[in-house]
Amino acid sequence: MAMKSLNAPAGGDPVFNDEFLRKLQRLELLARKIFRGLLRGEHTTSHRGRGLEFSDFRRYRPGDDFRHIDWNIYSRLDQLFLKLHTSEEDVTLHLIVDTSASMGFGEPSKFDHARRLAAALAYIALHNLDRVGVSAFAEGLGAALPPIKTRHHMARLLTFLGDLPCAGVTRFDSALRAFAMRTRNPGLVVLISDLLGAGEAQDGIEALRHGGHDVVVIQLLAESEIDPPLEGALRVVDAETGDELEVTVDPELRRLYQHRLELLLQEMESFCRRRGVEYLRASTAIAFEDVVLKYLRQGAHLR
Amino acid sequence: MIQLAYPVALLSLLAIPLLIALHLLRPRRRRVVLSTTTLWQAALKDRERGLGLRRLLRNLSLLLLLASALVLGLALAGPQWLTRASEGADTVLVLDVSASMKTRSGIGTTRFDQALAEAADIVDGLPREGRMLVMTSGRKALLRTGFEADRDALRRVLAQLRPGDEAGRPREALALALSLLRGREQGRIYFLTDGAFDPDVDPGSPQVVFRVVGAPARNVAITRFDFRQELASDDRFQVLMTVRNYTDAPVVVPASVSLDGRALYRGSLELEASNEQTLVLPFRGRALGRAVGRIDVDDDLAADNQAFAAVNAGDPLRVLLFTRGNFYLESVLEALPDLDLIKREWSPAEDIARLARIHDVVVFDGIAGPRLPPGNFLLVNTVAPGLPFSDAGRVAQPDVVGRGPSALMRDVDLTAVHIDRALRVVIDEPVPGLQRLFWSPETDLALALLDDGLKLVYLGFDLAQSNFPLQAAFPLFFSQSLEWLRPRGDGFVSTHIAAGSTHSIRVPSIQTRVIMRMPSGDATTLEVKGGSLLFDATADTGIYRYSVGEVARYFAVTLTDARESDVNSRWAPGERREQLQPAGNGAQALVPLWPHLLVLALVLLALEWCVWTGSRGSA
Repeated sequence: MAMKSLNAPAGGDPVFNDEFLRKLQRLELLARKIFRGLLRGEHTTSHRGRGLEFSDFRRYRPGDDFRHIDWNIYSRLDQLFLKLHTSEEDVTLHLIVDTSASMGFGEPSKFDHARRLAAALAYIALHNLDRVGVSAFAEGLGAALPPIKTRHHMARLLTFLGDLPCAGVTRFDSALRAFAMRTRNPGLVVLISDLLGAGEAQDGIEALRHGGHDVVVIQLLAESEIDPPLEGALRVVDAETGDELEVTVDPELRRLYQHRLELLLQEMESFCRRRGVEYLRASTAIAFEDVVLKYLRQGAHLR
Repeated sequence: MIQLAYPVALLSLLAIPLLIALHLLRPRRRRVVLSTTTLWQAALKDRERGLGLRRLLRNLSLLLLLASALVLGLALAGPQWLTRASEGADTVLVLDVSASMKTRSGIGTTRFDQALAEAADIVDGLPREGRMLVMTSGRKALLRTGFEADRDALRRVLAQLRPGDEAGRPREALALALSLLRGREQGRIYFLTDGAFDPDVDPGSPQVVFRVVGAPARNVAITRFDFRQELASDDRFQVLMTVRNYTDAPVVVPASVSLDGRALYRGSLELEASNEQTLVLPFRGRALGRAVGRIDVDDDLAADNQAFAAVNAGDPLRVLLFTRGNFYLESVLEALPDLDLIKREWSPAEDIARLARIHDVVVFDGIAGPRLPPGNFLLVNTVAPGLPFSDAGRVAQPDVVGRGPSALMRDVDLTAVHIDRALRVVIDEPVPGLQRLFWSPETDLALALLDDGLKLVYLGFDLAQSNFPLQAAFPLFFSQSLEWLRPRGDGFVSTHIAAGSTHSIRVPSIQTRVIMRMPSGDATTLEVKGGSLLFDATADTGIYRYSVGEVARYFAVTLTDARESDVNSRWAPGERREQLQPAGNGAQALVPLWPHLLVLALVLLALEWCVWTGSRGSA
């Protein structure tokens, strides 16, 4: 049984402790009911002609391929539905985790949250997927765990995640471009990052798409970034670049900051929508299992 | 252009690095590490885009501190702004109206006409916002306008001005003009004159611009004309007349002197160039009436070709003495010259008001008199009712311990005076006209009172019960008291004054009007208060006749000023005139800037304090 095969990594990693593992197993039970069609139907659009066996229907959403609309249902119900098909080839889930210094902020930190999220997705995905790989990136493409096929290697994955450092400057463009060039078998890429430095992030995501990957972006933000608890005259230091900036935080400046953040998030969301990239936003204040269940349920891959 | 009075003070700017160091030592901002500063940077840009000065305000405190230090350093260096006279600079026009300005200068024109033309040019050339004050310089300096911007009003005033027969005193006029421009460094004073005065008149101020009119002229003048009484003779007099030739050629001048129409001299005077001759004309008899001296010469200044003098007969002083007999008092009154003394015993039936009008002085000696009407009174050892002081008993052997500064006490030595018994008086109500003459610790011994037509001298002891009559001060005190009660300044001596000066006319206190007849024949009635009148409308030479009640008197106004008659300009400030520029046409002035800089530095420091405390509060 899968639950019995999951062990905590050696060394007592506080991220993947026993409680996490218990949550993960409960999550797996909940996800099992809805995990049957995970990624298969979704990826028929990107792997046209390979999977022909009918699997399920779902509502049409902007960006979907018109050719998969079931016009019979439309003629009866006057609503657009897509016909989902089961892919017959293996799909690899690539989890790309941002390990730059900016991920170390938040309570819990975005980094821990990202690692738990990655572990949860990997665990759930391994239920049906052939392979799950994990890559870390910051200034460049960092450590990588080659794709694993079964849950027997889940401990390895957890150990890999637990050993990742949280440091360095984020260079989305170069890191993601390197990933796209290095990866031979295109698959589903789940990018977990705070995406602070959105301009470069878009280039990186674009590079992934050109590499033939379907991309899901999970943007993690700490509560202290959404509503910063700052006041008065400060010298703020950028954790990644070390740049210093003198600010006197007052309600007006805080409002402008939040406005800027909102623009950044909207810009990323809009970019993803235009590029057919799934975009999910999460706060570290939300438990990772809730993110998996609530947010991934809303995503196309977990219908 | 800016000049520095103390350039070495710029060394104080070296304090600026110290200020920077102090600024750096101020408490630092709290350091906070964030995942990214990109968003804060963008937010700051948003805010600074809305408020363009925010970026500047970030270091406003230091900037203000440095700016205030810079401004203070500059202020210490004493910067001065060399600027041209502003458009709105005030101008004072001083017009010489002395007799020499009547000197002919061309056909049908005088120096004064030329000065008026110059004045008109100055008025026409006034800057648009400029104001001008017009004053005249004769024997006195007179303001003819305030600072006036209305050009037409200025021209109207100038058109009414005429030169007089008086000798000029430009020094006083220029001093007054400079005082009017005190604090207005850019103001200008134009002095339009013929330059017939001493060079020391020039006050040396760069604000004064001399405009000298006229050219050298020919003049022969009467420079002295006077009566004098021969020594040890009551009826022998002399008339003196000095005639001076100011030309550079000998002249023969017909001259004449008359007294009330009676010729005292008629002849010709031969005068060498730049020389003078004095006539001494003795005559016998009472010197009364009006004397006139003339020279018949066709020169450029006619005002000094005649001179006048007046001699008034001195009326005796009529004194009414109410006494029961007082040897000392009667003796001293009879001894005083020109005094008619009438002695009577007092009766309540007497009409004191009428007696006061027909006598110059009424004396009460030891007699309790009535309430006193307007008039001149001398009270000896008695007090009348209704006065501001009253009888309060007697004092035995009072010592004279104090004396007042009154003119009545001039040269009156009381050191050896002993009084056996005196009246004790109490001042019931102090009045401004009450003077204390001398006193003992217990009481006032002598007082003088001038109050609403009443003039009174009080002596508070019996002369027979003191040694005062034996002192030299005794006749002096009574003489000066009578002179004060009824002045006789217009009497015996000849009376003539310089044109433009003030003539003091003393009249009985009961008289309230004086009718003055001018040399031109015009008459005017003048109100008199307090027994004297100051008459200063004496710009024209001639005989002035005035009537006080039934009595007619004269005084003469004459030029007879050798300096004024020397009509050739002795000082032409051409060099100064070239250096100076008229106001509004490029005149330069140094305006000190340090007061403004000091105020600016204080404001900057105050702002810095506000910014600093504000930033500390928000931090």
